[in-house]
Formats: sequence, structure tokens, C-alpha cells
Amino acid sequence: MNIARVRGTVVATQRSDKVDAARFLLVEECDQRGAGRNEYFVALDLIGADRGQLVLLTQGSSCRWTFRTDDRPMDTLVVAIVDTIDERGVVTYTGQG
Amino acid sequence: MVLARVKGTVVATHKSPPMEGLKLLLLEKIDPVTLKGKGDYVVGIDSVGANAGEIVFYVTGSSARMTDTTKGKPSDATIIAIVDAIEKDGALTYDKSAEQSAQGSAHKSAQGSEQ
Repeated sequence: MNIARVRGTVVATQRSDKVDAARFLLVEECDQRGAGRNEYFVALDLIGADRGQLVLLTQGSSCRWTFRTDDRPMDTLVVAIVDTIDERGVVTYTGQG
Repeated sequence: MVLARVKGTVVATHKSPPMEGLKLLLLEKIDPVTLKGKGDYVVGIDSVGANAGEIVFYVTGSSARMTDTTKGKPSDATIIAIVDAIEKDGALTYDKSAEQSAQGSAHKSAQGSEQ
């Protein structure tokens, strides 16, 4: 999984993904300290992540291993909200709660 | 999923039989803030009826085979949605209806100056 930050939302009513009540987030890939890499994706939100939060992204065919995305054309998913990251015992990121 | 703008169509008459009947579109990946193209192009199969100029997002890899259009077809990039709006940090960076009406009025004023 990659680390990303929620930057906003993407609205798309005309879709072929068959996902009900889909919420798509604009996410930016981040390093282990939460700094953006200026690489953006559209991700399906399964957990209700908010703008500014650091999240975990699942990409590729692994995205279809949830009940809501089974057999659906999804390749980027927000699967978790990050609380803390530590690197060699030093906390490099803490969420604002 | 990756954001891109439809730049045109790709026509290929000689192709693998399962590829027949599929609509190929030329896509350029965009920056979601400036909406400018990154100069990075990809050919995607359309499953939503996207047109030139529209912003879309597409799926890659095995997920590209999961739409009704591309089931069992050798697609690795499929357009699955036409974008209405992009919001970043609380502000709209893209609004399809506003862009269309702006284009319409620009067209009208161009016509007006001709007369």
C-alpha cells in the first residue's frame, strides 16, 4: 500500500463502475513524513476519510477484494486512515486526531 | 484511477478480433489543480461515451477488464467515468458546466465580432 493525503473530491455522475453511492477522493501520493509528491490519483473511499488526512491506498487488482468492489472496475482504494508513522523508532507523522 | 483529458480518437482497422467494436480514445494525463496536460499520453477504451475535451478518469491493469464493455477483452486502460467537478482544498479546480458555458459565450462573442 502507498501513503497518500486526501486533497479533495471528484464528482462523476456518468460512470460504468457499478459502485453504489460512490465517493471519489482526490489523493496525492506522499512520502513517509506526509510530504506530497505532486502525483495525484482518484480513489474510491470506503471508510469516510476527510480532507487533509493521511490514508493508505490499495492499488491494482487487490482493490477488488472488498464486498463493495468485487468484480468491479476499480484500481485505487482508500482502505485506512493513518494515525502515526514511525521510522526507526522516531515518529515521522502523527494525525491531528 | 487517473485523471485525463480526452484529446482525440485512435482508429485501428487491423486488430485482434476481441478488440473489434471498441472505441479507442487518446488521453492525456492532467494535473488536477492546473488542469494542464502533463505530456503523458495513453490510449484508453471508452465504456461511458466520453467525447473529446472532456475530463475523465480511467482504470488500469486487470481492473480495466471489469466493465461490461471490456469483459474478456485485452484492455489495460478503460475510461470508467466522466468528471463533472474536481474540488481541492475546498475550492473547485474544475466545473464541467461552467467550462461549457464559458466556451459557449466565447463562441458567441467570436460570432458577434465577425458580424
